[in-house]
Amino acid sequence: MSALLGNPMVTTAALPLLLGIALALAARFVLPAASPVLTLLWAALLLFFYWDTLGPPGMPPAAASQKLIYLAFAGIVIGLLPERVLGRATSLLAVIVFAAAFLWLGWRRLAGGSLDLQLIAALAVGLLTLIGAAMVVAQEASPSPSAEEPFLAPAAVLALSLAGAIVSVLGASIVTGQLLGSLAALVGGWCLVQYVVMLRGGAAAAWSRGVEFLLLYAAATVLVQVALLAPKANPAALILSSLPLHVVALVCGPLQNLLPGARPLRPLVAGILIAVPAILAIVTAIVWAPHGAALGFS
Amino acid sequence: MRTRKLIAALAFAGASILVAAAHADNYEIDGQHAWVTFTIKHGIYGIAHGQFDGVKGAIVMDKADVSKSSVKAELDVASIHTAFDQRDSDLKGPDFFNAAEFPTISFESTKVEKVDDKTGKVTGNLTISGVSKEVTLDVKLLNEAQAPWDATLTKAAFSATGKVSTADFPMAKAADGFGLGPEVEIAIDLEAVKK
Repeated sequence: MSALLGNPMVTTAALPLLLGIALALAARFVLPAASPVLTLLWAALLLFFYWDTLGPPGMPPAAASQKLIYLAFAGIVIGLLPERVLGRATSLLAVIVFAAAFLWLGWRRLAGGSLDLQLIAALAVGLLTLIGAAMVVAQEASPSPSAEEPFLAPAAVLALSLAGAIVSVLGASIVTGQLLGSLAALVGGWCLVQYVVMLRGGAAAAWSRGVEFLLLYAAATVLVQVALLAPKANPAALILSSLPLHVVALVCGPLQNLLPGARPLRPLVAGILIAVPAILAIVTAIVWAPHGAALGFS
Repeated sequence: MRTRKLIAALAFAGASILVAAAHADNYEIDGQHAWVTFTIKHGIYGIAHGQFDGVKGAIVMDKADVSKSSVKAELDVASIHTAFDQRDSDLKGPDFFNAAEFPTISFESTKVEKVDDKTGKVTGNLTISGVSKEVTLDVKLLNEAQAPWDATLTKAAFSATGKVSTADFPMAKAADGFGLGPEVEIAIDLEAVKK
């Protein structure tokens, strides 16, 4: 059993995928999707994967990698705020806490003074995730949601996390790659169940504002850390990885016309559109990988 | 009268400082002749080796009272090499030495003890990735001599060994995540130029 849990493919992919499926089933049969208990379950799983990949939290946190779990915890606290509080001020809150996270993670790097390509990419990723997250959380839930609506935020987190994971590992930051991979699998498990529910004629459950916020914040802060510190991460791939958040706003607006009329296809096409920058990020990272596309510690 | 006493006291204090300073020699680490190397268990297989090329620092050696000696040194994390580029990139990354955030590793002695005429123990704070841990190095003075080709050049050569654990620094996943260590054996050979 311990050998199974010690296998990174299990903890990075299989286990979070199964747990994401379990959460989605819980939201389908046991708890309402907006229940704070479900938010707590997401939070517990998130912290489990942080602990598993980054190790126990250091006190006081010195390195940026030690700060990530505290940032995740801050995202959880905000995510557990009452829906009416989050609903009014989420965008503003997102801007403030994303900017604060970037400065906290990157102050040593910024104080270092050398404005190289890597740091320019990190600044761009910080700004793009801040704007993108504010745009995603600003989307109001429709009274009669379209078929794709419950999938938009999860698709953005999934695409960002998956692209970030591969860019991170190829950029010589393996642990953050594993963490983003776990997040992608967790959200992927959720999406899979919701899509099956929709195919069977049911209504897919949407994330509550709290879950949306804490998962967006977790994925984006880990991507920012990769951009700031992974020595070989491809700058273009990093920037592309942060763009799925922006495509969500486009899918709700100008790209709406590209979605087909057939209900089962709408989430698929919306997901593919959101994933386009992530796919480009992965291709860029692999093609221009500094040591070839060999994954794992050497 | 009071002025004379004051001058005498100052002269005595100054002379004492000069006598004390006469025993302490200042050295600067010669970066071109410094080998800071380490070995660490590599997974279930063998032993991996690495080296830092960028080394600088200062040594104060007081032969009359060794406890007054001190060492202050700094390693450039970006200068790490292990005979394989990809591994070097991994080691400079945030999973290990985190060069972008913490470009240097530093060591500052807090205690120097004499064992015999040529050996001693140097205890100090080793700071890696913003975390300081006390480390004791076994140090040997190999030689101290004037260069035969340059009468103005005097050098001292030292060897030092010690052990640290990756678990003490923000690279705790090195052992259970990557199967490295956690014990790291350090071996240092360096020359220092008398100033």
